[in-house]
Amino acid sequence: MDIPAAPTVRENPNFELLYWIGCAGSYDRRAQRVARAMVRLLNAAGVNFAILGSEEKCTGDSARRLGDEFLFQELATANIATLAKYGVRKIVAHCPHCLNALLRDYPAFGGHYEVVHHTQLLADLLASGRLKLASPAPGAATASVTYHDPCYLARVNRIHAAPREVLQAALNGTGAGPLREMARREERTSCCGAGGGRMWMEEPPAQRVSTQRAREALGTGAGTVAVGCPFCLTQMTDGVAANGSEARVLDVAEILAERLPANPASGSPAVATANAAGPAVASA
Amino acid sequence: MTPTRETFGNIPQSSQWAFYILAVVSTGVFAYGVWRRYQLWRQGQPVGWRELGITALRNMPTLLRRRPRPAAPAAAEIDAPPTLTHLSNQMELKAAIGPGVKRVLVDGLGQQRVKGRGAAGRAHIALFAGFMLLLLGTTLLELDHIAGWISKNLQFHHGTYYVVYEFVLDIAGLFFLLGCGYFLWRRTRRPASVGHRGSDWFVLGTFIAIGVTGYVIEALRIVWQQPHGIAAQCSPVGLWLSQAFAGLGEPGARQWHLAAWWAHALLIFGFFAAIPFTRLFHFIAGPLNLFLSRPAMGQLQPVTMEEVERTGRVGVNDIRQFTFQQLLSLDACMECGRCEDACPAFATGKPLSPKRVVQDLKHLMQDTLGAGPTAAAPRALHGETIAAETLWACTTCSACVDICPVRIDQLRLILDLRRHLANEGGLSGTAATTLRRMQSAANPWGLPASERAAWRPVATPPPAPAAAAEPASSR
Repeated sequence: MDIPAAPTVRENPNFELLYWIGCAGSYDRRAQRVARAMVRLLNAAGVNFAILGSEEKCTGDSARRLGDEFLFQELATANIATLAKYGVRKIVAHCPHCLNALLRDYPAFGGHYEVVHHTQLLADLLASGRLKLASPAPGAATASVTYHDPCYLARVNRIHAAPREVLQAALNGTGAGPLREMARREERTSCCGAGGGRMWMEEPPAQRVSTQRAREALGTGAGTVAVGCPFCLTQMTDGVAANGSEARVLDVAEILAERLPANPASGSPAVATANAAGPAVASA
Repeated sequence: MTPTRETFGNIPQSSQWAFYILAVVSTGVFAYGVWRRYQLWRQGQPVGWRELGITALRNMPTLLRRRPRPAAPAAAEIDAPPTLTHLSNQMELKAAIGPGVKRVLVDGLGQQRVKGRGAAGRAHIALFAGFMLLLLGTTLLELDHIAGWISKNLQFHHGTYYVVYEFVLDIAGLFFLLGCGYFLWRRTRRPASVGHRGSDWFVLGTFIAIGVTGYVIEALRIVWQQPHGIAAQCSPVGLWLSQAFAGLGEPGARQWHLAAWWAHALLIFGFFAAIPFTRLFHFIAGPLNLFLSRPAMGQLQPVTMEEVERTGRVGVNDIRQFTFQQLLSLDACMECGRCEDACPAFATGKPLSPKRVVQDLKHLMQDTLGAGPTAAAPRALHGETIAAETLWACTTCSACVDICPVRIDQLRLILDLRRHLANEGGLSGTAATTLRRMQSAANPWGLPASERAAWRPVATPPPAPAAAAEPASSR
């Protein structure tokens, strides 16, 4: 039986790594593209992974940080039961809020997992040579890039080297030059304005954190603003537009996926080739 | 002759007695002041000292044992990215005394968290290092003096030790005065994020007077004692200053020496007694908070159903429902304003400043004492003290928590207050709708679970997934 490019835990019960998609990756049209880019990368590297599909629920990060502790606990308990059912131990997430909830909130309720951000996994796959990039198309110069550190990733969980390694790998040879850094970065990064449930609140235009932060990003002169969080993706996109700029806002995974070797049926045959390439990948 | 100087040299016996009596009085006032603040913190929920001690003892073996080296991964596990195990080890939380002591040593004595604010950070380190060395020096001097009561042979304040001692303290005084001078200058600039109180001038003025009289005492001693060679040169600042008093001659110098000594002593006793009544109280509350706080960025304290049944509430709606440690942390705040500078809500003109929250809570804590454990607090915590809009403005980005030099957890204070609001249905509008959707559909958009994997690229040619209703990415 052929398995989909992003199999569910039922379709690929021998998975090694669970890819936690999160609500934005599942339902938000823009964030879905991040999930698809990530799936292409995982398949290109031959990673044996699965997703929870319809069984995944919101981690409850926003609920807990808005103060609705019991809604959070309800969601957390349900997710922990599902993860236990499929014997999940290792998780990759592209959302720092999901990552933080799984890593920091869930242990108090009995959920203990090894959780990495997708940029950490990608950095490892690049370093170990499992993920191979194509040489950039001749003449296809990439715009210079700046990276906005998500606060739940860089400050709260101290993950800021991996996304930079991935971006640098993606930029090498494209003529984009080194990453353009903002003054406020890494642990001292600025919030995009959407954490703590603020994602779901209206904000008067004059008070938008995203507008201010996007101004800082554009101030580096970069033509592309890289992010590592679906909330930041929305916020920075809005912020760049509010500043009247046409700069692109892309997730780190999307930027890296642009460097994958051309594939006629993008994403699909990767699983089969990976099976041949890596003995560690379980055949379904 | 070995270089030395006599402790209480030139100080008559009667003055020495008066000195010790004043020391006791000053300590008494200090202790009363600390006890007063302790009463404020005791209004909060008990910290569980016993539990803390027991946990510490239980964890002692693991603390003393070295962390085992991770075993080489088995061939089957090579596939796992190496960061996975490494990361989860880092996240282990150990509740014990050890980390508290470490925080006091590294964050407090080591001033690790004071760095990073340009000249102000460096000035604080200079002031702090100078102060601590002078404090240590005075303590050693007193130890030597007490040792002398037992046996003259036990005294160590001479020879090479004396030379190093005098030199280090002479330089420490310079660092201390430099730091004080910088902060005095900065007070005149009144940076917006830094809190200002009238007593700050008194505190800094006293500090500078203590430093200056200290040097004057040393200079006058050098005038009448006439030390030579290394015994004089080991106090370069005192030696330099002694030139100004050279004309006094021995009797004059001795007379003025006693006067300066008394001025110095009175200033020190005054300063010591003032610690719990001024901003200087952070000498006490800062290290205490470093020791007691359990820093856990990104983590929140769970609320249990048992707890709700016991207390009849969720979150905090009375200042006395915060913990002992949380109330103590309010007193650790120096109003340095770093949290306010780092706060994205404050920067965009929202009604939230983490510093303001801490200060408002502190004032309520002070005013609530005396109302009794059950009586109503003088002001309501919600609305009157902290407005709901202030609480909802927080993005929980943790910038304030991360930057606070004394590790105040502003986020947890805000979250405890938010929990009460949320439980009372204080949230309305789009955010409330989102919570309802999360409740009913387990996602903030309220979309069916069956569509959760509709984004997937398909590996096999058709059947392609039915084009799912794609929600707009707007909020």
